[in-house]
Amino acid sequence: MKRFIIRIFFCIYLFYNILSADSQKNISIMVQWFPQAQFAGYIMADEMGFYNEAGMDVSIIFSDGSDSPLQEVLDKRVNFCTGWLSQAIMLRSQNIPIINICQVLQKSSLILVARKSSGITSPEDMKGKLVSNWGGDFSIQPTAFFRKAGLDIDIIPQSFRIDGFLVGAIDVTSAMYYNEYHKILQAGIDEEELVTFFFSDYDLNFPEDGIYCLEETYKNDPELCRDFTEASLKGWEYAFRNKKETLDIVMKYCREYHIQTNRSHQEWMLDAIESAVTYRVGDNLQNWGTLSKKDYETVAEELLRQDLIKSIPSFSTFFKDVFHAE
Amino acid sequence: MLNKSIHVKRPLGRKMLLWIGVPLLLIYIIIILFTYYWSGKNALYKMKEYLFELTEHHACMLDGKFTKVSQASIGIADALEELPIPNEDQLIDLMKKKLQDNKNIFGMAVAFEPHSYRRNINLFSPYVYRGDKEIVSVDLADSYNYMYLDWYQIPKLLGSSYWGEPYFDEGGGDILMTTFSEPIYKNDRCIGISTADISLDDLEGEMNNIRIMAGYTFIITRTGTFIYHPEKEYMMNESIFSLAEQYDQPDMRTIGKKMVSGERGVSTMNDFLTGEKKWLVYSPIPDCRWSFAAVIPEKEIMRTVHSMLLKQIFIMVVGLLIILLVIIWASVGITNPIRKLVVSVQKIAKGDLNEKILGIKGHDEINELVKAFNKMTYDLKHYISDLTTATKEKEAVESELRIARSIQESLLPRIFPPFPDTEDFDLYARNIPAKEVAGDFFDFFMLDKENLAVIIADVSGKGISAGLFMAVTRTLMKTVCVKDISPSEAMSKANYVLCQDNDACMFTTLFLAIYDIKTGKMSWTNAGHDEPIIISKDGSHRIIKTFKDIALGIDETHDYHEGEAQLEIEDIMVLYTDGVLEATSPEKELYGMKKFITILEKNYNKSLIKILDEVTTDLDGFQKDNQFDDITILLLKREK
Repeated sequence: MKRFIIRIFFCIYLFYNILSADSQKNISIMVQWFPQAQFAGYIMADEMGFYNEAGMDVSIIFSDGSDSPLQEVLDKRVNFCTGWLSQAIMLRSQNIPIINICQVLQKSSLILVARKSSGITSPEDMKGKLVSNWGGDFSIQPTAFFRKAGLDIDIIPQSFRIDGFLVGAIDVTSAMYYNEYHKILQAGIDEEELVTFFFSDYDLNFPEDGIYCLEETYKNDPELCRDFTEASLKGWEYAFRNKKETLDIVMKYCREYHIQTNRSHQEWMLDAIESAVTYRVGDNLQNWGTLSKKDYETVAEELLRQDLIKSIPSFSTFFKDVFHAE
Repeated sequence: MLNKSIHVKRPLGRKMLLWIGVPLLLIYIIIILFTYYWSGKNALYKMKEYLFELTEHHACMLDGKFTKVSQASIGIADALEELPIPNEDQLIDLMKKKLQDNKNIFGMAVAFEPHSYRRNINLFSPYVYRGDKEIVSVDLADSYNYMYLDWYQIPKLLGSSYWGEPYFDEGGGDILMTTFSEPIYKNDRCIGISTADISLDDLEGEMNNIRIMAGYTFIITRTGTFIYHPEKEYMMNESIFSLAEQYDQPDMRTIGKKMVSGERGVSTMNDFLTGEKKWLVYSPIPDCRWSFAAVIPEKEIMRTVHSMLLKQIFIMVVGLLIILLVIIWASVGITNPIRKLVVSVQKIAKGDLNEKILGIKGHDEINELVKAFNKMTYDLKHYISDLTTATKEKEAVESELRIARSIQESLLPRIFPPFPDTEDFDLYARNIPAKEVAGDFFDFFMLDKENLAVIIADVSGKGISAGLFMAVTRTLMKTVCVKDISPSEAMSKANYVLCQDNDACMFTTLFLAIYDIKTGKMSWTNAGHDEPIIISKDGSHRIIKTFKDIALGIDETHDYHEGEAQLEIEDIMVLYTDGVLEATSPEKELYGMKKFITILEKNYNKSLIKILDEVTTDLDGFQKDNQFDDITILLLKREK
């Protein structure tokens, strides 16, 4: 009798599992880098169950830099990915069916940093100085920046680290405001000792992380795209409003992935990402996630100018505002 | 104990403690405070130096390790600069040899600039490292473009050697590594970079063994990142600046900046977790430009310093206690004999002259005092004994004298008025005896119904002999004064008798008058006595001028003269002894005749007893307690 009851319970449990598995869609999103506060929104949406509430079982895949999340989406190995606008426009211009369903970061965080002691106070002062950059998408803004300044600068390739700048081998380094810039501060160089050039201040605001998927993903299931976007933005909102908890979880991820980082760095990053998300749109979730057509055109025109694209893809085909769609 | 029986309000021992002990205590306290202050400072300074040396020592040890590795790499760079470029095998052999020679080197590489090794070869970088079993070699150019990696690019840009930031070598099983790079120059052109990898795997073990005064040590790189920290979580994750930021410790950031700039120093900081005050002593590791630091809880340092100070203070306190004990001992040594002395003196004061102070040793002042005291007691005892005997003898004599005096006084007429039935005259006399028995006397008696014999005398000398002579004279006078005898005849007879067998050569002045009570006529003889005074009824006086015959008892053949005088009604005849005129004031002034007559004249109209009272009072007032001779006055007044 006892055994019989146990068996019945076991059957019910299995049945429930099958049902619930069926009801939850298995979704994956790949982000551009290792776990860090840059992806806190997705992590928190997953951790706080926002994806589950939207009927999704989301797995977050962290890139190690050797693979491209957009390529993974194209290869249909993941449903969604985060990526830079410039990169996506370049793909789109090659008629690759990739679309932006949510522009999360509104402000470019890419900056150039120099020591005040090097005598650099304006772009013109960089003439004859050693400037480093990671290359690829990261080099588009600096190239435009120097062209605008009328400077012919030979940019040196930059490793992932900023050691060259820290030891004084390089005069001007590229940095993400939310990441490398703070690492410079955490190496004992004070903000007062530094001079920064935000590309967004030079009409080169290239919005960075957005959520991308294949056009067919959107066509097949626009609700999924909307629900995913909404849950992700809710994750971001939660992250910004519960920073301590978010940092606890981000740090947990960092430790799991053996990321060499520290809490104060992640805290800086979360703050910086928040200001990039709320840039121009404020802190109301309802206003988030839209790609500004002006930004789109700024990026696309610069890509065209640098001959990285042959033509500017249509904005309406590139961006689907799923979050604000009826 | 005897000592305890004495209650002393402020004992000498306490005074000594107060006067010597308390100032000494104050001086000691001042010295201790100064010692504490200065020694504390000095000890802290020494402690600081000690910690400096200790951290510098450890930093140097680490530096030596890094230098060996960097020197190996520099050696290869130098060889490539000086010598023709060797072939691949030679180069690999050279690096292998270096690896064999230096256990600290995990791997070495020489990475060439494009086409610098051989014109036909773009990138070439032989890498020799410790494989699982043996030293193996690979060409890094096969795997990646090393040109823009930090270990290659940074030293090339810097144009100098460079210790890279540590990293986890994923291929080598997550070993913490750091790479030294040295640019290779040929003809002033960089042709490549020579590197050496050092495993920091055993660094943790080495560092864990370093113990500096219950503190801990850590190492940060030139960017402030913890390479070693007892908190494992910090290693490679946190930098001194990230902690400063997280725990909002701007001071720590300042210290960190000093550390990464290669300074040596010592700072205090509050532990950001416990708030405990700690010392941070840091020294640079010059070769790799890292910084070694020791963090020691201040209480540990202070405990060491305090224990040093406490030892000093303990010795001082013991010294002080010894001195106080010596003071107490000394005061007991001084006060004990004094206390014994006090007890003895108290006994002596109560009359116990048999008390002798014993048991006081030494040859000091106290002992001399004791000797003197014992002698004093002894002398006192004997003196008192002598005095007692003398007093007894004196008392016996005085007793006899008292008896003699009372006998003498009893000889004098004591009833006044002596003849209450008669209205013809009035008579009063008074003898005021001196302390000793003297020889004054007076007498009066009727020879018949009309004649009254009146005598006043003053025997020479004092004492018993004078008293006896007076008694004899008085008796004699009573015998010789018979009816119808003349005063001179009576006096001569008496003189004759007194001169007989007068071996003592005593004599007496004497005035004898035979007074006719009806007529006031008076015949007299004066044997050397003071002449009588007569006060008239008008208050004036006159002195009866007499023949001054010699006193009785001197010359048996002497014939005494005789004179007469007339007393008028209300005349008062005053007879007196020399005690009146020779009464002496404390100022050694004599009473004298003038004063005597004045007081008599002043009171002449009073009754005789009153006059005597006034004179007596005046004399008493004059001589106070100074009477040394008998005073005798006799007044005879004719009433009708």
